[in-house]
Amino acid sequence: MIRDITLGQYYFADSTIHRMDPRTKIIGTFVYIASLFICKNIYVYAIAFAFLMLCIFLCKVPIKYICRGMKAITYILIITMIFNMFFTRGETVLWRWKALVITLEGIRNAAFMASRLIMLVVGCSIMTFTTMPSNLTDGLESVMHPLKYIKVPVHEIAMMMSIALRFIPILMEETDKIMKAQLARGADFENGSIVKRVKNYIPVLVPLFVASFRRANELTLAMESRCYRGGENRTRMKPLKYHKRDAAAYITMFAYLGIIIFLAIYLSPKDSTDAAALAGSINMQ
Amino acid sequence: MSLIKARNLIYEYIRRDEEGNVEGITRAVDDVSLDVSPGQFIAILGHNGSGKSTLAKHFNALINPEEGTLLVDGLDAREEDNVFDVRQSVGMVFQNPDNQIIGQVVEEDVGFGPENLGIEHDEIWERVISSLKAVNMYDFKDFSPNKLSGGQKQRVSIAGIMAMRPKCIVLDEPTAMLDPIGRKDVLDAISELNKKNNISIILITHNMEEAVLADKIFVMNKGKIEMSGSPREIFSQVDKLRKLRLDVPPATIIAHMLREKGVNIPEDILTREELVEALTKLNNR
Repeated sequence: MIRDITLGQYYFADSTIHRMDPRTKIIGTFVYIASLFICKNIYVYAIAFAFLMLCIFLCKVPIKYICRGMKAITYILIITMIFNMFFTRGETVLWRWKALVITLEGIRNAAFMASRLIMLVVGCSIMTFTTMPSNLTDGLESVMHPLKYIKVPVHEIAMMMSIALRFIPILMEETDKIMKAQLARGADFENGSIVKRVKNYIPVLVPLFVASFRRANELTLAMESRCYRGGENRTRMKPLKYHKRDAAAYITMFAYLGIIIFLAIYLSPKDSTDAAALAGSINMQ
Repeated sequence: MSLIKARNLIYEYIRRDEEGNVEGITRAVDDVSLDVSPGQFIAILGHNGSGKSTLAKHFNALINPEEGTLLVDGLDAREEDNVFDVRQSVGMVFQNPDNQIIGQVVEEDVGFGPENLGIEHDEIWERVISSLKAVNMYDFKDFSPNKLSGGQKQRVSIAGIMAMRPKCIVLDEPTAMLDPIGRKDVLDAISELNKKNNISIILITHNMEEAVLADKIFVMNKGKIEMSGSPREIFSQVDKLRKLRLDVPPATIIAHMLREKGVNIPEDILTREELVEALTKLNNR
């Protein structure tokens, strides 16, 4: 089941974006998220959407594959839309039934929120589709490096992430093994009420936790015996290096952000956008 | 000069009850003295709980003896400042292959030790490549450790130690969780490192056929060294080994039983080939 979700997994391909430095991609993703929150206007949204399409085109990940990842957020998406539709107060009432009111503003809000959410998730998943997990942790460590001066244990966080990633498949395998062992002893994971089913998972979770602690203990010994002593004086086997394509990416990225900010200020929401936004929100649906 | 020089080592585990009161003391290592010279292949035998793993952890400065002296490559292993030098000159491979691989890719894991030592990245690569070649795992350098068999993972672990350029490798039951093929590959790799690179090997095991490979065997029981000598000297004392709840190589047992029945064959037979040779000689006479 978990394996079906493509969201957040690495997609093997050889593209410009795949070859970029992980730091570029992490900063790029942040810039993109920021730009989405500046957007208040249909034209600005169109630019954000175009930028996203450009990235999808460049990263060579099939659109079908990206859409499959969206399945994971269907429910969040539906709930967000419903809430925005019914709970936005507005003047133009389109439909009313007892306490439920749908207004024009509500529909517009729902469309905006949904498209923002989709673009946000697609934007982030392009980063994970194109970056190997080990590269991603290296990049995060390097991007977060300045936080060290306010006593954030940056190296430790990165090391924890990379160890977690290494052990996820091992622990999944172990869960499977324990579940089979408990099934053989007559455990039942499929029948009964939700409360009962959750309770039935206790005999799986307890051995899993005990085994993980044992693993952690052994891993510590193994790391210590290989002279691990934290991030101090540690060299890198694969040092991160910027290339020309990263410079190009940074220029594009900040040009994009500049345009978005300029438009957001220039087309301030009160003057001209109501009609346009309405038209846009209907188009988007 | 001997590489490892241990004199009267004592290590105790203190068992405590829930309130922290001392319930009992177990002497895991009791008055152990031994020497390992450069290039020597040593096996430490003993059944479960004989203290052999605890002793092994001393050589790597993972634990400190309560009494006695331990010199590793001329350095006092009890000194805080020497810990990392000791760990660099004596590497350690553990039993469970899954719990000692840190990297998400084979080559990254092998590079973990050198990274900790602060070595320049060109040299790290040199060491990673030569170490992987030494254990015949170079073709797998881009693999995820999760895709490898137990024997292959164990050889990656050995390469990870080799990359730190140690003088001695301690292996704590490295083959206990492996199938016969994986076991053979690992033992071949160990013997080759011993012969070609002149690295001392300390093999902790309860498998007699593995112990036969060694130049010298120490048999441990209840924390003490009960017997020491060459494999032939040790395995010719079948009755004494059995008293210590240890097995004897099958060929040796057959020879021993034949002798008891009055057949005139030598006492110090270790392998099947030697047994066959002795029996054919007998037949020809």
